[in-house]
Order: sequence, then C-alpha cells, then structure tokens
Amino acid sequence: MSGEAAKRRFREIVLPHLDDAYRLAKWLVGNGADAEDIVQEAALRALAALESTTPLKPRAWWLAIVRNAALTWLARRRPTAELDDALVAPGPDPEAALIARDEATRLSRAMASLPASLRETLALREIEELNYREIAAATQAPLGTVMSRLARARAALAKILKASE
Amino acid sequence: MNDDATLRAQMALDGELDAANQLAFERDLSGSPELAAHYAELVALRAAIRAQGAREAAPEALRARVAALAAPRWSARPAAMAATLALAAALAGYGAGRWRDDPTLPTLVAFYQRAALSGQPVDIASSDRHNVKPWLAARAPFGALAPDLADDGFPLLGGRIDILDRRPIPTLVYRRREHLISVSELSLAQGGHGAATLEGYHVERWRDGERAYIAISDIDAAELADFVTAFAKKTAP
Repeated sequence: MSGEAAKRRFREIVLPHLDDAYRLAKWLVGNGADAEDIVQEAALRALAALESTTPLKPRAWWLAIVRNAALTWLARRRPTAELDDALVAPGPDPEAALIARDEATRLSRAMASLPASLRETLALREIEELNYREIAAATQAPLGTVMSRLARARAALAKILKASE
Repeated sequence: MNDDATLRAQMALDGELDAANQLAFERDLSGSPELAAHYAELVALRAAIRAQGAREAAPEALRARVAALAAPRWSARPAAMAATLALAAALAGYGAGRWRDDPTLPTLVAFYQRAALSGQPVDIASSDRHNVKPWLAARAPFGALAPDLADDGFPLLGGRIDILDRRPIPTLVYRRREHLISVSELSLAQGGHGAATLEGYHVERWRDGERAYIAISDIDAAELADFVTAFAKKTAP
C-alpha cells in the first residue's frame, strides 16, 4: 500500500506527463503495445521511489525512469543487440502496414529504422528535451558524439521526409 | 554545407549557442540562402516530429491503469472518506494546528508546491549565505538572516522572492536529502503560530520578537521540528 503523500506526488508528477512517457517508450521500442507495458512498469517504479524522494526536476526524473525501463526491456529482449550503431529493424506493426502511405506513418517508421543509439539520442533531445550536456551524461557518450548522432539522425529523417514530398 | 556548418545550425536549433554566437548565426542565416534552406529543413523536421508526437497520446486504458495506481485511498469508499476528512478537520482545528485562522497559509503552501514542481525552487541558487542574504535584502523590505544550517544536515539551496498581500517577502530554501524546506520571513502582523498540516505538507510557524517565520516541507513533522530548532537557534536575536 503506497502512502498518500507518495500518491499525491505521483498524481502531480507522473500523470501530467503520461503522453510524453508513452511517446518516449514507443519511440524507443518501436511499438505501442510494448510501450504500454513499459510505461506501466515505470509508473510502479516511480510510485515506489516517490515514497522517499521529491525530485527536483519532476518531468525529467519521470521520463528518465521510463527511458531506463525501455532500455532494460530492449536489453532483455535482444540480449545480443547492444545499443550500438548497428541497424535495428523496425518491429512488425500491422496497423502501420494498413496506412503505410500516410506521411506521419512514414516518419514514425523512419524513426523506428534509425540505429538504436541515434534513435535514443534524438528521443532524449526531442521528447525529454534534455540539453547536450544532459544527453551526454545520460548516454555516457562524449559531447561530440552526442552532436554527431543528432546530426546523423536528423539528416536521415530529413532525407525520408523530403523523399515523401 | 560542411560538417561544421551543419553542427552550428543544429546548435542554433537546439538553443546551444551562446547569445553572441546565436546573433552571428542569425546574421549568416540572412546572408546565405543555402544555410537558410538547411536551417528551414531542420525546423520543419522538428515540427513534423512534434506533430507526430501530438498524435500519439497515451491510450485511455493505459491512463486509467496508471491513474488507478495512485487513486486517493478513499475514492472507493465515500463514507470512510467523509469520516477521515471529519477527523482530519477536527485534528487540524485542534490545539496548534488552526490553519483555518491563518489565511496566508494556503497561499504559502501553494508557493512551496509550485517551487517543488517547477524544478526551480530558487531565484538565486547558492549554498553561500553571503550571496543569498544581500540578494534578498535588495529585493524585500526586511532581509532574511539566511543562517548556515549545513552542519545540522540542512544545506542551503538558495533564496527567492514570494509575493504575499502584494508585498515581496524573502523565502529561503534548504534541502534535506531530496526534499525541500522553504522558510519565509513575514512581518509580525502576517505571521501565525504553531504547527499545522495542509494537503500533506507540514508547516511550522514561530516568531522571535522581531520577525515571524513560516517553514513548509514534505519531510515528516519531526524532522521539520528539528529544522526549526536549528534555525531558531542560529537566528536568535
């Protein structure tokens, strides 16, 4: 049974950023059903943690928990595929196949087809809204690597968007 | 476009250039159609990603499941809730906890909530009282003493200005582990007396003959009382 104070903090911190959490998880693992499981798992972790902490940056704190849950999930599911620059194939998504001509779907498939490290870096920037220094700390990569990963991710997506025009 | 130019445009997009370099970049932008086109592409990509995200709201079922994790305990039992509330009200109104007589209390607790949620609890961040004290003194009619309580286990995080009854009041923010404690200094007329609990936050009010203080935190009541003891000892006139 969680304490009422922890639950109140949870309602103030986690619930307002549930959409962002879901987007982040979906972006990182590539499909909605798994993203739901991951967000729920992360929510349980967050609630337990809120028993003993009041995060100074609530949104960043919560999204970091979601990110870690997603990365743990990826590592479990693909023990051989480390988060390196190897290409990770997008998971099958029957819903996406139906509307594959839609530009938004194109973008989302393009994101899913990015190498995992590029996708993670871009998610930290665009969804978690971390700055370069924070991304470097979170991914344990040098600042220069963060910048080049962002540039490569964006160049790849921009190319796909242009092609779909 | 060479790599350096690409990275610079990206830094501009991400707000990573300092003011001088950002200005220089914007000058170059108006002088180079190639750079402008590249930058417009980056801006369009970001817009597309954001729009994509906006379409991906969390499914309602997920929202309901997560919300259920933290539903208030009484939501399923209205009768029990009424009893709990009645008891809480009785306790709050009993003895020292008469916050209903203190109209400033909900406002000050709201300041604390805002500060804790925003992640920016202070206007001036410094653990050095010699920085915080003059900063507050320059902005509030009466200056905070800003005692150093690090040895008591409450390091100073900084200070901020709150506005109460249209007047600026100095507020100090201390830390205990991951928790914040805010202490506002009020005029004797504004101050109250005693401990109270409001929406799960503990409040301590006291005065020392010259000033009135109010401390608010989500640490437990005993720890907050320790804090007040340490604070009052260091600020005794």
